[in-house]
Amino acid sequence: MVRRIKLAGLVAALVAMFLPYLTLAQGVSFGVSPAVVRIDNLLPGEATVFNLTIRNKDEIAHNFTTATFHPPKKQREKGRAAFPDVSWISFDPDQIEVPAQSVANVTVTVAIPPEQKWAGEHWEAWLGVAAESSDLLGVRARLDVRLLVSTGGARSNVRLVAGIAVAIALLGCGGYYYFRRKARPE
Amino acid sequence: MKMIVASILVALILASFFPLPAAAQESTTITITMTGVCEISISLDKTQWPLGDVASNTERVTSPPIEWCTLTIRGNCNVNTFIVGEDAKCLGDSAYNWALSDDGSNGEHIYGLWFRIFGDTARGYVPITKTPSEFWPYGGGSSLAPGAYKQFGLKLLTPTYFVSGRLMQTQITISAVAA
Repeated sequence: MVRRIKLAGLVAALVAMFLPYLTLAQGVSFGVSPAVVRIDNLLPGEATVFNLTIRNKDEIAHNFTTATFHPPKKQREKGRAAFPDVSWISFDPDQIEVPAQSVANVTVTVAIPPEQKWAGEHWEAWLGVAAESSDLLGVRARLDVRLLVSTGGARSNVRLVAGIAVAIALLGCGGYYYFRRKARPE
Repeated sequence: MKMIVASILVALILASFFPLPAAAQESTTITITMTGVCEISISLDKTQWPLGDVASNTERVTSPPIEWCTLTIRGNCNVNTFIVGEDAKCLGDSAYNWALSDDGSNGEHIYGLWFRIFGDTARGYVPITKTPSEFWPYGGGSSLAPGAYKQFGLKLLTPTYFVSGRLMQTQITISAVAA
């Protein structure tokens, strides 16, 4: 009986010793949604916000960090340029601990400077959510959300051209009548 | 003469009238479209490679060599995958690091990293660099569908010379984006 109790104690001690190592050896499993965010008609000088949802599918808590990346040119959606300045995109919070089997939201703000030169553009940036690793040689998983931004407020050149055309026509008429009148004998 | 002046005035008024609304910003509605049902998700069954002490100019390979770690695509949308490395930083001395080579070779204070995917006989070991490269790049199947998985291993080539007695830290990032 005493021997059995000792054996049970030894097993418990071994489990307690190795449990942390088993935990350390765990991998990572998480998801982010939505996979693609499309923003249209964002005017220069305006900002918009949306949420990213991080789903920790592991049995342990993980720290997640966020950052914005320029996608490789080959990976960008057709007709889109790289986002001019990633500092226009901010995350709140920019890092977050998500408990095991839990969900957390990160608010993303996209703010375009007021200069009109940013009107009528189509850009793409990737919003990365990475599971942090503090290991000496760590393998880290990151999920990138495609952010597709189209800015509005492009000047309507049709109206400008119409205005100039009317002005030229009226000036032409005026000139025509002036010279006809001048050429008429008194 | 009066006709001329009147014409010019009308022309100027009209010319300024037309472009003014154009110069003003148009009233628009910001549209945010989020494909809410689409979730990207991956899992890695290992996140660390405990190496311990390493000697200079030495090759270390994970065990098993190419089935060491499994990347599994979860969620509900296809993804493109990438891999990228970084310089190894010295813990406690931010001025010292090992630069990650761009071709997998090594040198003084320069180390090489490689990965190899199980079943990828065409490429074999591929260098991991500081520029993201495609993890699974094959045409007609470069994106991976939910449920797909890839086993891979790593190889490290230590610098030909480095300052010993330092604790070095580096990370390999495997990323996924909606295809």
